[in-house]
Amino acid sequence: MTTTPAPRADEAAVLTELTEALHHVLPEIGFEDTPVTMDTRFVEDLDLESIDLVTLTGELGRRYGGHVDFPGFFASLELPEIIGLTVGQVVRYIAGRLR
Amino acid sequence: MTAACLPHLNVERIGPAGRETVVLVHGIATDNLTSYYFTVAPALAAAGYSVMMYDQRGHGRSERPPTGYRLEHFTQDLAALLDRPDITGPVHLVGNSFGGTVALDFALCHPDRIASVLVVESEPPTDAWAAKMSGLLAGSAHRLRDERTLPWIERTYGRHEARLVRWATPLLHGTTIAEDIAASRIPAEERWRDLEVPVCAVYGEYSDLAAMAPRLERLLPDCRTRQVAGHGHSVLVGTPHTVGPLMLDWVGTGHRAKAART
Repeated sequence: MTTTPAPRADEAAVLTELTEALHHVLPEIGFEDTPVTMDTRFVEDLDLESIDLVTLTGELGRRYGGHVDFPGFFASLELPEIIGLTVGQVVRYIAGRLR
Repeated sequence: MTAACLPHLNVERIGPAGRETVVLVHGIATDNLTSYYFTVAPALAAAGYSVMMYDQRGHGRSERPPTGYRLEHFTQDLAALLDRPDITGPVHLVGNSFGGTVALDFALCHPDRIASVLVVESEPPTDAWAAKMSGLLAGSAHRLRDERTLPWIERTYGRHEARLVRWATPLLHGTTIAEDIAASRIPAEERWRDLEVPVCAVYGEYSDLAAMAPRLERLLPDCRTRQVAGHGHSVLVGTPHTVGPLMLDWVGTGHRAKAART
């Protein structure tokens, strides 16, 4: 099992925000058994549908405003990469755009 | 069906507001708006188009009523979306697979509301189409009642394909979609011969539908076709770097200005 280093302070804040956004837009999905970490895969581990990823990033787009461009972010990824997307990839993208 | 009966539809807009609009309509059962959001939509938005995608009824995060899945219901949903006040002028319609059938049906019903149609791996609605689609949907629903089916799909086609089918199961088992598609209102063939809307139809070289290209060119007065070499039915998701530029070329060739003049 690979382990990503602990998130930096700004990444920790984004991870908290992302986790909150997940619970907000997808309340019907139970996350209790699967803690959300930087290594968590949205589809494989949380069983999110691909459309849920659009909903989640839409919510994050509203929270972070013009700092983030998720359609552009996804455009840089091939479909298999999107299916294997981790929480850490999204957190690092947002944190990078906030710097 | 009245407007009050229309289901809630999940809509995503990207790109600048108030600009020339491209509306993207996805396929049936295992499809939703992500087929565009994760492939060609960002390039259309980056080129300055106002892009609207939506999950069709029963799909993605849109409402899934137990009944009401005849083709005309899907066409009515699209009409209602285009009634939004922020949609100005004729739009470009893009449809993938079943979404292309919806787009063509919409073009026939509301030719004045669209500038052009581009369909990917689609056929116009005919009695034969309705019977085939209904059979495919009913057959899939039947096979999915056997618990060995999903593991077989995973072994044969891969984990993600199995996941897509699993996500589609509530639609196939919990609604009347197979029966309803068979009961769809089918336009009379002669109406297609008067369709004054430019249509581009894209097919994969190895697709069962590739033979549709010359038939569509003969049927529609303003139709051109394109073939994507080396691919089957899944050309949109399989070759977005080919289909995306093709879409950009198509919507950028002045159809809207022509539509506005007529």
